[in-house]
Amino acid sequence: MSPQPEICTAIQALLEPYVDGELSPEESLKVREHTAHCPACAAELRLCTDILEELRGLPELDAPPAVLARVRQEAQAVVPFPITTRERKWRRPLALAAMLALALLGSLLVENLRGVRGQNEPHPTPEQVAQATEQARYALAYVARVSRRAGLELKDEVLPQYLVAPAARTLSRSLKDNLLSANDPAARQGS
Amino acid sequence: MPRRSLPFLLIFTLALTVAAALRADSGAEASPGALPFGELEIFAPKDLTTEINLEGALLKLIGNATGEDSPEFAKLISGLQAIRVQVAPLKNLDPGKVRAKLDQAVHWLDSRGWTAIVRSRDKGEETYIYTREIKGQIVGLTVLSFEPGKEAAVINIVGHLDPAQLGRLGRTMNLPQLEKVAPKEKPRDGKRPG
Repeated sequence: MSPQPEICTAIQALLEPYVDGELSPEESLKVREHTAHCPACAAELRLCTDILEELRGLPELDAPPAVLARVRQEAQAVVPFPITTRERKWRRPLALAAMLALALLGSLLVENLRGVRGQNEPHPTPEQVAQATEQARYALAYVARVSRRAGLELKDEVLPQYLVAPAARTLSRSLKDNLLSANDPAARQGS
Repeated sequence: MPRRSLPFLLIFTLALTVAAALRADSGAEASPGALPFGELEIFAPKDLTTEINLEGALLKLIGNATGEDSPEFAKLISGLQAIRVQVAPLKNLDPGKVRAKLDQAVHWLDSRGWTAIVRSRDKGEETYIYTREIKGQIVGLTVLSFEPGKEAAVINIVGHLDPAQLGRLGRTMNLPQLEKVAPKEKPRDGKRPG
């Protein structure tokens, strides 16, 4: 049975990364199994391997600095964002996984420390709880005393000053007027 | 994801985790209803005659211990995160300095979204009662009191509070007892509030 052309196309797309050792073990196995019984893909694989070996055999040459500078300049102008290569595709999930693991580890560590500290803290004795209860009562009573004092000030100072005293003055004035008019017949006639 | 940003992201995540953990760990101190005693330094520790610092677990224990005898008190106490009291007699203190420190605390409360429910200045006596609300619920109460010739006090109650309940409970507590239960309190485990 001859391999299906679409499978060959898919495998041939993997040949270069396979030769470069960039594939996962599963993908590499797939390439090996397919090329074992597909002569066309096996030939492609051999070609890739030969080219790679030829390239590796070439002497390393440094590009002239001026050319390098121009290439860098043009690359920056053309590619405004970093190129995502196949090699880096695994980094994103790995980074996310690492971050999650780190966060989880941090929380566990803190919880653990809290637990240890909680265990180390001496459990309060009934006397200490009783003393703390008195302290809590004291605090509430103090709040009540201060607020009552403020309320008493309102009652003792504000009410007499603004309500009781004016009312008393009005009453006193009116009584005085009545008394005066009662003692003075002229004023009584005039009124 | 660029290769160079990976370590920064990892460090950032680690920093966030640690910050969140520390924030959660700081408990009552981080609550919006807490007064930062340490930051404001209203009284020097040596000037205090009463210092109370009750927090979380101990308040729960008080709630459990008093549940049968005083259910309302127990309910109120169990809902609190912290009770802090500092009382300093003015006998050996410069009243002007204490008053200035109280003014500083008042300014702090005003600038941090606290609401003054009582501001009273009369014949040298000063009383301030502030509450801190979050979503319509009181989460903190602070009382600042200055009585010339007597004492100055700062009280901070952190946690969910029902003012009516607080008032009811306060009325049931005898004031003479206040004088009786005011010995110098040693800070627990050497800790000082704030």
